[in-house]
Amino acid sequence: MKLIKSRSLIALSTTALALPGIAHADAPPVQNTLSYKISNYKEDDLSRREVVFGDLGRYDIDVHQFQLVAPFTRNTSLHIDANVEIMSGASPWFTTAGLDGQPLVNLSGASGIRDRRAEISIGGKYYLENGSVGGNIGYSEEDDYRAVYIGLSGERHFNSDMTTVAVGFSHSSDKLFPTDAELFNRVIEADKRTTSALVSVSQIINQVSTFQTALSITEQSGFLSDPYKLRDVRPQHKTQISWTSSYRRFFIGADAAWHINYRLYHDDFGISSHTVDMAWHQNISRSWQLVPTLRYYSQSAADFFTNVDDSLNPLTHYQSSDYRLSAFGAISGGISLITDLGDWTATLTAERYIANEKYSAYQVSQPSTALVRYFRVSLGVDYSF
Amino acid sequence: MRILRLFSWFVISLSMVAACTQVQPWERGYLAKKEMGWDADVLEGALNDHIYFSKEASSGGNNAAGGGCGCN
Repeated sequence: MKLIKSRSLIALSTTALALPGIAHADAPPVQNTLSYKISNYKEDDLSRREVVFGDLGRYDIDVHQFQLVAPFTRNTSLHIDANVEIMSGASPWFTTAGLDGQPLVNLSGASGIRDRRAEISIGGKYYLENGSVGGNIGYSEEDDYRAVYIGLSGERHFNSDMTTVAVGFSHSSDKLFPTDAELFNRVIEADKRTTSALVSVSQIINQVSTFQTALSITEQSGFLSDPYKLRDVRPQHKTQISWTSSYRRFFIGADAAWHINYRLYHDDFGISSHTVDMAWHQNISRSWQLVPTLRYYSQSAADFFTNVDDSLNPLTHYQSSDYRLSAFGAISGGISLITDLGDWTATLTAERYIANEKYSAYQVSQPSTALVRYFRVSLGVDYSF
Repeated sequence: MRILRLFSWFVISLSMVAACTQVQPWERGYLAKKEMGWDADVLEGALNDHIYFSKEASSGGNNAAGGGCGCN
C-alpha cells in the first residue's frame, strides 16, 4: 500500500526560464558548467497530543539535483536539468475532534514506505542583439503521477540596457493514478492542466542597485483535490495571480549584497498571502562568502477549509482539512557558506522552517493541526570546464 | 477587487523605474557580480520553490511556473 505522495514542481523555475540579472552580459555561456546538489529534508515528528494513533513520523526526503549549462553554437546555449527525490514517511489523512474539541490528525501510511520521483528538463536559449528567446520541455514521473510540460520565454533590453522586459509562458499536462484506488474508494485516474504566464520589468536604478517587478497569472483546471485525503473536494478550476517585487543593492564598504523580495498573492479558493524574504551575501575574502537568509510567509484560509472533517457534510460540497489551505504563518531562517576555488564552487546550506497559526497576519478562525516544521541541509558543487 | 489591487501595485511599481539615473556599461561592475543576480544560486532557488510550493498554498513569482499535483 503506497500512500506517500510528493509534489512535482512542474515549473519553469529552473534555469531555462529564470529571469536573468539585467546587469549581466546577455550572451551565451563560454564554458560548460556542471552542477550537483544533494539535500536532506526532514519534517519534525508530530506529538501524541495531535495524533490519535499510529506513528508520529512525517516526511524524510533526499533530493538530488543535476544541471548542465553549455554553449551550443555561437548564439545558443543548452540547459539540461534532472532531479531525483527519494521519499519516506506519512502525511495527514483525515482530522477528527478530540474530547476537548481540538482537532486531531490521523496520518496515512507508516514508516518505511518509500517513493521516488524523477524529472528531466531540456531547454535552449537563442541570444539576440538586444535580448533572447528560450524554451524548454520537461517530464516528471512518480508511481502515481506523471506530468509533461513546456515553457517559452523571451526578453528584450531597452534604454541602453538599463531596462529589460521579459515574458514567460508555460503549460503542464498532468495525470494522476492513485495507488490502491479501489481499496480506498479513490479516483482511479484523473487529469490536471496548468497554464501560466508572466511579465516582468527589470531596471538598473544606479551603480549599486536594481529593481524588478513581475506579474504572473496561473490557471488550473481538472482534478485539483487531494486523492489521498478521506474527505477532500475542491473546485475544478483555480485562478492564481501574484505580484512580486525584488530589490538588490551592493554595499561597497561592507563588500556585501542585500537581496529583498516581496510577493502578494491571491487565488479564487479565497486564499491571499504575503511573502517577504531577504538575504545578505557577505564576502569574507576572495574565495569565501557567508549568506544568512530570513523569510516570513502568511496566508489566509481557503473558503471551504475546515479543521475537523465533517462526515455529515455531503461530498457534493467543497471541503478540505488540508493544513496547507488553513490560515497560518511561517518563519524560516538559513545560512549558506560558499567557497569559490576557481573552476570549482562548493555551497553548504542549512535551513529551519516553522509554521504556526500564531504567526499568521490573517485572522485564524479555525487553527489547523499538523502544520509543518522542517530542517533542511544541502551540499552543492559547481564545476566549470 | 483583489486582482485589481494586485494589478495596481504592479503598475505603481513600474512607475518607480522612471526615476533612475543613467548608468554607463563601464559603471556596472558591482551590478555584474554574481551575488547581485536575481537568482544567485539557481539550484538553491529551484529547491526552495519546490519545498514552499509543496507546503504552502501560494505559488508564482519570478518564473512562469506551471502545475504540480494537488496532493501532499
